[in-house]
Amino acid sequence: MTNASEALLALTAVNTFYGQAQVHFDLSISVARGHIVCLLGGNASGKSTTMKIILGLVKPRSGEVTFDSASLLGLSTPQIVRRGIASVPEARRLFADMSVRENILMGAFVRNDRDVVAQDLDRMLTLFPKLGQRLSQRAGSLSGGEQQMVAMARALMSRPRMIVMDEPTMGLSPLYVDRVLELIRTINQEGVSVFMVEQNASLALEIAHEAYVLQTGKIVLSGPARALKDDPRIRDAYLGGSEAA
Amino acid sequence: MSSWLDYTINGLIVGNVYALVAVGLALIFGVSRLINFAQGSIYLVGAYIGWVAVVQLHTPLPLTIIVVAVAAAIVGLIIERFGLRPLQNSVRIAPLLATIGISFVLDQLVMLTFSPNPRALPSQLPDVRFQLGGGTIGPLDLLIAGVGLTSALLLFVFLRYSKLGWAVRAASQDRDAAMQMGVDVNRVNQAVFGIAAALGGVSGMLVGMYYNQIDTAMSLQATLKGVVAEVVGGAGNVPGAVIGSLLLGLVESYGVAVFGTSYRNLFAFLLLVVVLVLRPNGLFASARQAPPEPLTGTFIAPSRPVRIPRWALAVAAGGFAVLPLFPVSFYVLQTLINAWLLGMLALSLTLVAGTIGQVSLGHAALLAIGAYTSALLSLTFSVPAGLAIIGGGLMSAALGTALISPSFRLRGHYVSIATLAIGEIVSLVILNWEGVTRGPIGISGIPPLSLFGYDLISPTSIYWFSFAVMVVLALLQGRLLTSHLGRSFRAIRDDDVAARAYGLSLNRYKSLAFIFGGFAAGVSGGIAAHLYSYINHETFNTQQSILALTVVILGGLGNVVGAIVGSVALVGLPEVFRIAAEYRILIYGIVLLLLVRFRPQGLLGTI
Ligand SMILES: Nc1ncnc2c1ncn2[C@@H]1O[C@H](COP(=O)(O)OP(=O)(O)O)[C@@H](O)[C@H]1O
Ligand SMILES: [Mg+2]
Repeated sequence: MTNASEALLALTAVNTFYGQAQVHFDLSISVARGHIVCLLGGNASGKSTTMKIILGLVKPRSGEVTFDSASLLGLSTPQIVRRGIASVPEARRLFADMSVRENILMGAFVRNDRDVVAQDLDRMLTLFPKLGQRLSQRAGSLSGGEQQMVAMARALMSRPRMIVMDEPTMGLSPLYVDRVLELIRTINQEGVSVFMVEQNASLALEIAHEAYVLQTGKIVLSGPARALKDDPRIRDAYLGGSEAA
Repeated sequence: MSSWLDYTINGLIVGNVYALVAVGLALIFGVSRLINFAQGSIYLVGAYIGWVAVVQLHTPLPLTIIVVAVAAAIVGLIIERFGLRPLQNSVRIAPLLATIGISFVLDQLVMLTFSPNPRALPSQLPDVRFQLGGGTIGPLDLLIAGVGLTSALLLFVFLRYSKLGWAVRAASQDRDAAMQMGVDVNRVNQAVFGIAAALGGVSGMLVGMYYNQIDTAMSLQATLKGVVAEVVGGAGNVPGAVIGSLLLGLVESYGVAVFGTSYRNLFAFLLLVVVLVLRPNGLFASARQAPPEPLTGTFIAPSRPVRIPRWALAVAAGGFAVLPLFPVSFYVLQTLINAWLLGMLALSLTLVAGTIGQVSLGHAALLAIGAYTSALLSLTFSVPAGLAIIGGGLMSAALGTALISPSFRLRGHYVSIATLAIGEIVSLVILNWEGVTRGPIGISGIPPLSLFGYDLISPTSIYWFSFAVMVVLALLQGRLLTSHLGRSFRAIRDDDVAARAYGLSLNRYKSLAFIFGGFAAGVSGGIAAHLYSYINHETFNTQQSILALTVVILGGLGNVVGAIVGSVALVGLPEVFRIAAEYRILIYGIVLLLLVRFRPQGLLGTI
């Protein structure tokens, strides 16, 4: 595993509760600079809550979350975003009544360099050529795959050091699933670290460097993606959490 | 008789005024999912600031408008920062109640500062009228239209081209996602409260000039009209709010043309109820769109109720029962009689708002129905007062439940709006249905209380009678809460989706709660009618509805003992401290605010 010093993002012994119900049990995860790290797990295992912890939308009861060696606990979500973490939320969460262009530009909300933002928008259109004809359309009117493209472009517009993605392939047609994974790899090769949550283990392990398997709030397995891909335990561990794999 | 064109112009002008209020409500609802009941108070503040500027400082009109906008915006920012921001992580009802409390405080402060007497607010514009087709139009009409259009344009530019405007739009579509883009939701809230208050304040000033009169009753009316327009246009929908306002203005204006002035508000509230029932998302929302209102559930603060041993309750009840045997003053008995009457209303409301989670803001209407029924039964049909009061209770139970039943499918804040509107409708029907209710004259000469042929005239007998009735109602309600029925009520409150999945029929249970609650409130109103011997359409008003709600929250939502303790506290403490009548409403508002902020579960805890 990556050691803590080179980790860009690290969660250490995190315990999270919703009211009385405990969702995370001593959760520790680290993401090395420049890597793609994947968190696998069945339904309701606590994956999305992990994303919310990183983004400051949910506060852990105990434990530590650091980004670039500085604690994120006590920061608000907008402050965390300004530190260089962008997100592609679960179910994309576009601003449905705003245009595609406005959605993408919302991603640059934390930036003040207007001219460069305009250049970045052009860059997004080369990365996601399909969006070119859709720019003035309502984001809510796009197909699921197109919406995923908008959500990714929106996240990139803040020029993040890291992107966190919650089930980026959920509900997409197979064609789009491949396209999204390919794009994640491209983004990563441009130097952005990626932390993604997935239910679809085999796909995610194709592109990830490391992976963790979460089962009812506990990490039950972790290691380099290459090794996990052939690990018979991954099927058992993973399927133990839920039937939805 | 003026021409139709005149009525159309008048409708559009009044609609413009409503739009200034409604747009602010829509902006706030969009971002916070909150109906800001203090919006009318800001409108009131705007009108009085306008008066100070025009009459005392002699400012020219453009400067007056700027002064009013800026001052009102500052009030809005203060409300957001100190009234609402501390409640961000509270239960969902907290901000709504806070805006009600704030509105009471602001209205009372204005009243105490400027006296309740109406004042003239001259417009400083020449009094001429121009011919326009078959109608006429004056400079003030043009000013209002101009302010409306300019505001719409400025707002459009702000939302479309400024960074903060984008943040407002993004946050109103998806608050969490906006935060993940780096939007600071507190700044967005500040922005919308500032804008809403500026528009609302200017609106109040313009209305004051339009009628050349301002008074403190403007506040509630403005909130109600703004809410109607906003809901008609679709809560949170800014262009919808403008169209809803113009529509409301026209409906009222044509309604007045056909039926007369006293029907103006009736049309507004009927329009609201019809829209709420048929299209709760407003006229312009697509049908498949989910209502912009989270489910119930966390709506009421969960807490562990304070356990009071039975013997202690029995001792307390016994103490109050024998109280008149001691040499207590007439004044003390009178105060406690008021507390027992309010206690019955609070029992009713704590069941409806607390136990089954339908936060009613129109509960005084149930008093009114009970009072009128009882009064008319005894006056017209010579029914003895004791029986007439029961008749009042039954009528409140039946009519109240029938009136609210079309709104049973609404939830959360929408229930509060619907009950508020129904309460206003009841009062307006009483005002207009002269054949039965004697209209604005009211009913006088209502016979005194009597029981089995004996008149209850001495304070002691009235005290015992009202105390006994309240205790019986409380015991019945206590039994109800521990029964299977009580558990079903709470299941519906806590999660109506799950409750339905278990096979509970929501409509049936909501009906049962309103029937029981309606009876208790109706009996209270009936007793009051015979005590006062005179009632009219304003005897039981929104202030009493809100007072009852404050009592219920003070005692702990759903808490039977709490409802009575709350009544004694809110009626008794101002007497103990000899607080002058004009400060009481102010105190109630402050109590409500403090409770919401520091002890939302009330004194004895929610059940
Ligand atoms: N806001 C919330 N309040 C209460 N419980 C929640 C909330 N969000 C999620 N949970 C519960 O926490 C558990 C983990 O949820 P989540 O992190 O969304 O899982 P996943 O993304 O792996 O499906 C689930 O049992 C879910 O029901
Ligand atoms: Mg999830």
